[in-house]
Amino acid sequence: MKIRDTVRRAGRSLRQAKARTLLTSLAISVGAFTVTLALAAGAGGQAYTDSLIKSNGDARHLSVFPKVDEGKSEAPKEYGAQSVATKQGVLTENDLNKLKKIDGIAEIDPAYNVTAAYMTRGEGSKKYEAPLTIKADRTAMPLAAGSLPDNQVPRGGVVISEGYLSVLGFKDAQAAIGKIVTIHIEKPSRLVGAKATESEDRTLTIAAVDKKSATVLRYQTGLTLSAADGKAIYEYQTADLPTSDEYYAINVRVADGSDITVVQKAIEGAGYTVFSLQDIQETLFQFISIVQWGAAGFGFLAILASVFGIINTQYISVLERTQQIGLMKALGARRKDVGRLFRYEAAWVGFLGGAIGTFLAVTTSLFNPAITQGLNLEKGTELLQFSPITSVILIVSLMLVAVLAGYFPARKAAKLDPIEALRTE
Amino acid sequence: MIEVRNVTKTYGKKHNAFRALDNANFTIPDGASVAILGKSGSGKSTLMHAMSGLDRPEVGKIIINGKDILTFKTKEIDAFRSSEMSFIFQSFFVQANESCYDNVSLPLEIANVPASKRRARIEAALEAVELLDKKKSRARDLSGGQKQRLAVARAIVNEPKVLFADEPTGNLDSTTGAVIEDLLFSYNKTRGVTLIIVTHDPDLANKCDMQINIKDGKIESIRTKEGAKS
Repeated sequence: MKIRDTVRRAGRSLRQAKARTLLTSLAISVGAFTVTLALAAGAGGQAYTDSLIKSNGDARHLSVFPKVDEGKSEAPKEYGAQSVATKQGVLTENDLNKLKKIDGIAEIDPAYNVTAAYMTRGEGSKKYEAPLTIKADRTAMPLAAGSLPDNQVPRGGVVISEGYLSVLGFKDAQAAIGKIVTIHIEKPSRLVGAKATESEDRTLTIAAVDKKSATVLRYQTGLTLSAADGKAIYEYQTADLPTSDEYYAINVRVADGSDITVVQKAIEGAGYTVFSLQDIQETLFQFISIVQWGAAGFGFLAILASVFGIINTQYISVLERTQQIGLMKALGARRKDVGRLFRYEAAWVGFLGGAIGTFLAVTTSLFNPAITQGLNLEKGTELLQFSPITSVILIVSLMLVAVLAGYFPARKAAKLDPIEALRTE
Repeated sequence: MIEVRNVTKTYGKKHNAFRALDNANFTIPDGASVAILGKSGSGKSTLMHAMSGLDRPEVGKIIINGKDILTFKTKEIDAFRSSEMSFIFQSFFVQANESCYDNVSLPLEIANVPASKRRARIEAALEAVELLDKKKSRARDLSGGQKQRLAVARAIVNEPKVLFADEPTGNLDSTTGAVIEDLLFSYNKTRGVTLIIVTHDPDLANKCDMQINIKDGKIESIRTKEGAKS
């Protein structure tokens, strides 16, 4: 028998047992639905995480920290002449110079920890608290107005939060661009707890106004300054302090042509702990993958359960159609033809189940806006992302699974003795 | 020509053994109409199964056109049946849910006849049994006589050389049965097809050129009608 004829006959047999076919394929469709949905949610989750990370960090940025003792030695070390007073891990100029020798680093700056006493628009205006952030990386900031070339704050410029607009008397974000603000910097005294001895004012031009966005994980109302200004303020503030060349971290920007993982390994090899966005991304992706495949696992279990449904249905079908099988064999159909007829029927059932499940799963993407709203995600986010290729692969695999499930019933049919099958009594 | 030589078929083993066929010997000339006459359980069906290669007797030869089909491999026998033989059964065995057209199409599909050549042959076969107007009807909507006519169409569509009919009128009233008999005998006469009818009905057997009486697996007598080909 030609394959085309067998496929057509298999299809017709199924149509003649509509309820049974539909119920068997519905069992498969439950699995197909779960798997498709899990994969779609995983794909959407990864895409969302990706956008989340892009707006929270800079892929070529590495944060270098002192090596953390990984807790291998729990017993304290004995005190001796060589011992130095344990200092909470800090990095110094030495470390900075050591790192500079590593290949593939485009920029390297200590992380400056600076504070401002207050900010104001000028003499006689009200003063406001102003947490300072130094922008060392090139993360894209969501802006309400203005622009940041290459995602960097220009020297002498400042990015202010939207929250400052009204208190500073700007009618909207656009009105603030190019205006001047003053920050007041105090120089701490060498004596702990004593009042600041010196202070200075710095004027900065508003380059941009940033806004809170759902994808930004930590957002603080404050001022964002350039690395150059940060350095100047830091040097002023720590000039008299013994900790003037101690930093809690060093920011490294990997050169465009270099492989970030190679540079990261090199720095780690030099005895530092490195945090990169890639690490975070990998961790998050790994987490999403676990959840995704966990959910898909339930789908696979459902498919496994439905396999027994297919086997059962096909056995019943063989019993019901004993005479048809006998007749086909009497007319000269080969074992192979009869076996194939039943395997193709199973394949049809698999196809139907896969198609129904996938279709139902894809219709859930209609709920995407509701999900986005419900989870308070960034507008326009699609948490369920379906790929046609995945669906096609899934349906084809389900057809294969169904054919495998139909193997034993098909073999029974193929082996049927035509004389027995055609016995009338 | 079909030659049956010393054919013995035993069912069961040892003390349960039962001889369904015991040393059967006869020759059927091409184009003859033959009745295998016997009561139920006499072995007449077993004989038909053996002659068509559905069953394999352990002893003897069945020589069709010079070839012993018992030496064939399963595949070869299947192909042989598909191209040379056809069957009509007492209980019709038409596929109730399929259309008349698809029922008749089955032997052609099994014989790998290209789709383009099927239509004309199927319609000719349906025409021959006067069912062309029913070609799209489902077989279950037909009457008993129509079903058996459909079975005849299915049996002749692949233009077999041997047509086996197992109690072809057993489930039909005498009027419709007569229609089927006429169809079979006229096909036998006009096309020169060997017709082998298995029956327990002596009246039907009397219409055949040759009668093979079988009892308890043994051939009791073979009668050839006067004036028939031999």
